[in-house]
Amino acid sequence: MTRLNIENLNAGYGNKQILNDISLTVEQGEMIALLGPSGCGKTTLLNALCGFVPVSGGKIKVGNRDITTLPAENRNITMVFQSYALWPHMTVAQNVGYGLKVQKVAREEIEERVHELLSIVRLAGLANDKVTTLSGGQRQRVALARALAIRPDVLVLDEPLSNLDAKVRLNVRHEIKALQKQLGFTSLIVTHDQEEALVMADRIAVLNKGQIEQLGRPEEIYQSPKTPFVANFMGAENQIVWTPELESSILTGNSEALFVSRPTNLTANQQVFFRSENVTLITNTSRFDNDNSVLSLRGHVMQSAFFGNNYRISVQCGEHIIQADHTCDLPANTPVLLSVPAHALHVYDIETSFKSNAYATIQTSTSFQTI
Amino acid sequence: MQNKTTHSLWLVAPAAIMVAIFFLYPLFFSLYSAVTLEDGSLTLAHLTKAFSLYSNDILFTIAIVLASVVVLAILSITISAMIVLSPFKSLVSLLGLLYRLPLFIPFIVTAQMMRTFLAKNGLMNNAFVASGMMTPMDTISFLGWTGIIITFVWKQLAFSTLLLSGAMAALDQNQIRAAQNLGASRVRILFHIMLPQVFPTLGVALVLSTVTMMSVLSVPLMIGTGTPTMMSADMAFRVNSYGDYNVANALGLVSYLICSGLAWFYLRQSLKDKGATA
Repeated sequence: MTRLNIENLNAGYGNKQILNDISLTVEQGEMIALLGPSGCGKTTLLNALCGFVPVSGGKIKVGNRDITTLPAENRNITMVFQSYALWPHMTVAQNVGYGLKVQKVAREEIEERVHELLSIVRLAGLANDKVTTLSGGQRQRVALARALAIRPDVLVLDEPLSNLDAKVRLNVRHEIKALQKQLGFTSLIVTHDQEEALVMADRIAVLNKGQIEQLGRPEEIYQSPKTPFVANFMGAENQIVWTPELESSILTGNSEALFVSRPTNLTANQQVFFRSENVTLITNTSRFDNDNSVLSLRGHVMQSAFFGNNYRISVQCGEHIIQADHTCDLPANTPVLLSVPAHALHVYDIETSFKSNAYATIQTSTSFQTI
Repeated sequence: MQNKTTHSLWLVAPAAIMVAIFFLYPLFFSLYSAVTLEDGSLTLAHLTKAFSLYSNDILFTIAIVLASVVVLAILSITISAMIVLSPFKSLVSLLGLLYRLPLFIPFIVTAQMMRTFLAKNGLMNNAFVASGMMTPMDTISFLGWTGIIITFVWKQLAFSTLLLSGAMAALDQNQIRAAQNLGASRVRILFHIMLPQVFPTLGVALVLSTVTMMSVLSVPLMIGTGTPTMMSADMAFRVNSYGDYNVANALGLVSYLICSGLAWFYLRQSLKDKGATA
């Protein structure tokens, strides 16, 4: 296992450019999650690393070895696929040992290594079973063992958990992470699930439109997203565009006004993102304290959904719909007061000619915490 | 419920009657006439006669068909593998177009074409002579058993490659990628990953091709040299020259048994594979 270095990588299919100038270094023994919506280029990046997609510019280095133009079979990077991609005509042991057989390793040595790997992924008794008889979770563990058998320089995982059902997914997720710590392999994992990325990765790279929007530790990405895209993707689904009209309405101090108070550093022509879990909801709308450390606003309950440990309440506040977590169910049309503490707000500047929801017009951005 | 069943029976009746009259009746009648005398009593006389007159031709037929099938398998695997695994996409699309052409050419046209191509002073030898690679004295005719095999393979290659490359392309692309990034070359991928999985399709292509080759009359008549010849030519000869339907049908029964033997072998093999995976 060695360090992976990607420099200014460009790649695409035909004339369509998918990856733009990606630079990323994965340290030895580190796991980086590539997180992003579908079509952002995360799988293309893995395919380019493995040599399945030709690179149109930039360099890929593993240790000191430049592998940019090497054919896939000489790269020593192995992939775990979303569809498992096991060979149905082979047994579990044959699948796992195939890479070693190709390398012409002695039969006894292959057997030994296969046995070792199967016990690592807890499939010890199944060596001679056909892979078609295994469950999804077992198949993905076979795929993992197969990819690790040849001791690759880098292991890449392409949404390895997406085909598994919820409970199995948690188990396999935990197992992959534990294995990664135990064996210390350098790896890249692609996922569209933010929770998966937070739990598994040492660092997260959020991708959007073929570029890395932000790279950092999970805590950094979660707590101080650098761009509106990252904030929104990491679960801050509530968005308010703070227009000059809103700014002036709050200054009048009308008791019927939509917005009751705002933190001091939120100014006109900014937009603000926050998570539903940070919203405090009270049904006593007459309580009114003009607190400069919270954003608070009035609204009516639209609907509420049961989430197990709490209710997710959709609140109509003027033209905005805000999601808030609350401990109990509320009937529709209940007047409520929402407040969000300043530290939970992610604030970004916007251009004056901002059109609602158009991220493309955003030019500069700053995280609220860094001000 | 009863009423419904009767209705459905009426619906399939026209098709079923057509099959019975135009397919089942002639088939069973020809089998019947192969093993009965004029008075209706059972006999092996026709079969014995067929064997005594044509046992060489039966062996010749089996040898030709087996040789064609082997060449066919090798060539169609090679072409399909090139189509599916080759990194040169423009070459592949040209190949993909070329290999399909024989599908649209009837056997009799193929046979006529091969006659002018393979004869001693045919197109192929003339081209060799003109290019100075051979003198007219050295030319040999490929008409005969080699010509028959070449024609069968040329014609059936399109069909079996079509089936096989379809099956190969339908495999999960990630299975091939997984083998590739474990270090397997394209040749290894073909033999270890792809062929074992498309084996049943190859079987279907070869069994169907065998049945076709056994039944073609134009090729042995136009390209063969007379003796030994294929069973289809013998059957035509028995009927046309002697009006001897009994021996012709006896030969038909033999070729039917050869085909069903192959089909049985294929079915047993594919059931074995299924039993192992299920």
